[in-house]
Amino acid sequence: MLKFLKQVGDYAKETVQAARYIGQGLSVTFDHMQRRPITVQYPYEKLILGERFRGRIHFEFDKCIACEVCVRVCPINLPVVDWEYDKASKKKKLNHYSIDFGVCIFCGNCVEYCPTNCLSMTEEYELSTYDRHELNYDSVALGRLPYKVTDDPMVTPLRELVYLPKGVMEPHGLPVDAPRAGARPEDLVEKS
Amino acid sequence: MNPGIDLQGTFIKSLMDLGLPPGTAKAIWMPLPMILMLIGATVGVLVCVWLERKISAAAQQRIGPEYIGPLGLLAPVADGLKLVFKEDIVPAQADPWLFTIGPIIVVVPVFLSYVIVPFGQNILISNIGTGVFLWIALSSIQPIGLLMAGYASNNKYSLLGGLRAAAQSISYEIPLALSVLAIVLMSNSLSTVDIVNQQSGYGILGWNVWRQPVGFIIFWISALAECERLPFDLPEAEEELVAGYQTEYSGMKFALFYLSSYVNLVLSALLVSVLYLGGWDFPISLNLIASWVGVSETNPVLQIIDASLGITMTLLKAYFLVFLAILLRWTVPRVRIDQLLDLGWKFLLPIALVNLLLTAALKLAFPVAFGG
Repeated sequence: MLKFLKQVGDYAKETVQAARYIGQGLSVTFDHMQRRPITVQYPYEKLILGERFRGRIHFEFDKCIACEVCVRVCPINLPVVDWEYDKASKKKKLNHYSIDFGVCIFCGNCVEYCPTNCLSMTEEYELSTYDRHELNYDSVALGRLPYKVTDDPMVTPLRELVYLPKGVMEPHGLPVDAPRAGARPEDLVEKS
Repeated sequence: MNPGIDLQGTFIKSLMDLGLPPGTAKAIWMPLPMILMLIGATVGVLVCVWLERKISAAAQQRIGPEYIGPLGLLAPVADGLKLVFKEDIVPAQADPWLFTIGPIIVVVPVFLSYVIVPFGQNILISNIGTGVFLWIALSSIQPIGLLMAGYASNNKYSLLGGLRAAAQSISYEIPLALSVLAIVLMSNSLSTVDIVNQQSGYGILGWNVWRQPVGFIIFWISALAECERLPFDLPEAEEELVAGYQTEYSGMKFALFYLSSYVNLVLSALLVSVLYLGGWDFPISLNLIASWVGVSETNPVLQIIDASLGITMTLLKAYFLVFLAILLRWTVPRVRIDQLLDLGWKFLLPIALVNLLLTAALKLAFPVAFGG
């Protein structure tokens, strides 16, 4: 009889505990309702990307010495460097340069190793096209710079969480010159 | 007792004054509350769908529908319009008759149950003596329609979903009926109007929640299971069964299922507010305030205020419960089918029985507090 009563008691205790857990869960869900939506309403609002964002690659034709280091460090030997030896100046002359962004994985190795810094990363990420061959950028397309989010009058630029001032969680309606949390690189240089 | 506003009597009387015979006057009145209730139920569903989407979004730190009308209010309307214009497909190997009748059998009893939902002393379609019992009886028809739809679709997922729906509805009907029985025992009547009247008089303190806390929880859990809301949405568990019995449905037939599930949710919430939260009763007794201010009970202005306040209170309570159901949806994960049946048969049923026996005992012991 006592054993049975203990079983009943344990069962009741477990039930109460389960109800408590459900109540805790409900309070968590309820708490989330008061939090700011993290939605970025994309075509109208865009995030200002971080300095190290690896977007579409920019290429400066005149700086390139056609050394093909970018091809060698590329995981899939993607950049196509079309050059010929110019006998008069005893130098390589670049005819064409192209990268297919349908295949590129944006690892940034080419940018890292380029001896003349003619390759660089941009903030462009809107690469969708109707034809995949349009993603094969030639040297002219590679030389274009993307339109900055902060300059676009159609777009409300929003700062990412890391770039918000200390204690601020809301990127909407923030003054443009509000400093981000923590010391900037130039402050650190001054200190040392 | 405050008789409250009597629209039917006034309407028929004014028609008879115009020279119409009493039978015709009554026949003209009859369809009005029904049509009003149909429209009301449909609008209630639209509001419910909007709330569902908006609250779900808030719980996940999203915005939800925003551009379709102010605050996205027209999003459910757009949904409904889309479903109306979609092609109505009957699968080649399906049984066309059962496939068509299924959703109709599901949707009709739910709307029919609105007959007994009171928004005021005289603001309901019909004050039937069997009241809540009618609702329980009508809700038992629904699983037949679901099973029919699932079986007629000629699809494994649909059949499994239909079978699950039937099993779930049948098991949860029993604790539901038992907890209603405890309420009926206390108010000595099956009529929803009598049940609310028995709770009124003491404001918030007189509501049945305080006398039936266990019954309230059992009723709400069972009602969620009957509506196939998320902790118990096994019949349409999308990860396992695609969409359960709805898998083969499209267009207007699918819309009927969709509509009935939300109408059922609103209906259950309304009935919880009627059975446990004092229905149209204001938290502070209104007659008390009237007598303080010194206004007569039969004052027409007071009656209109009373009636509109009653409707508002009923809806507020119901939508609070809908809000709770949506919150619960994003809190509790879906149970397995064996856990679902265990919860119904091994937990809710014995507790509902004990609750019923306790209520009976308390009624004998304290007839003053428990409706002798």
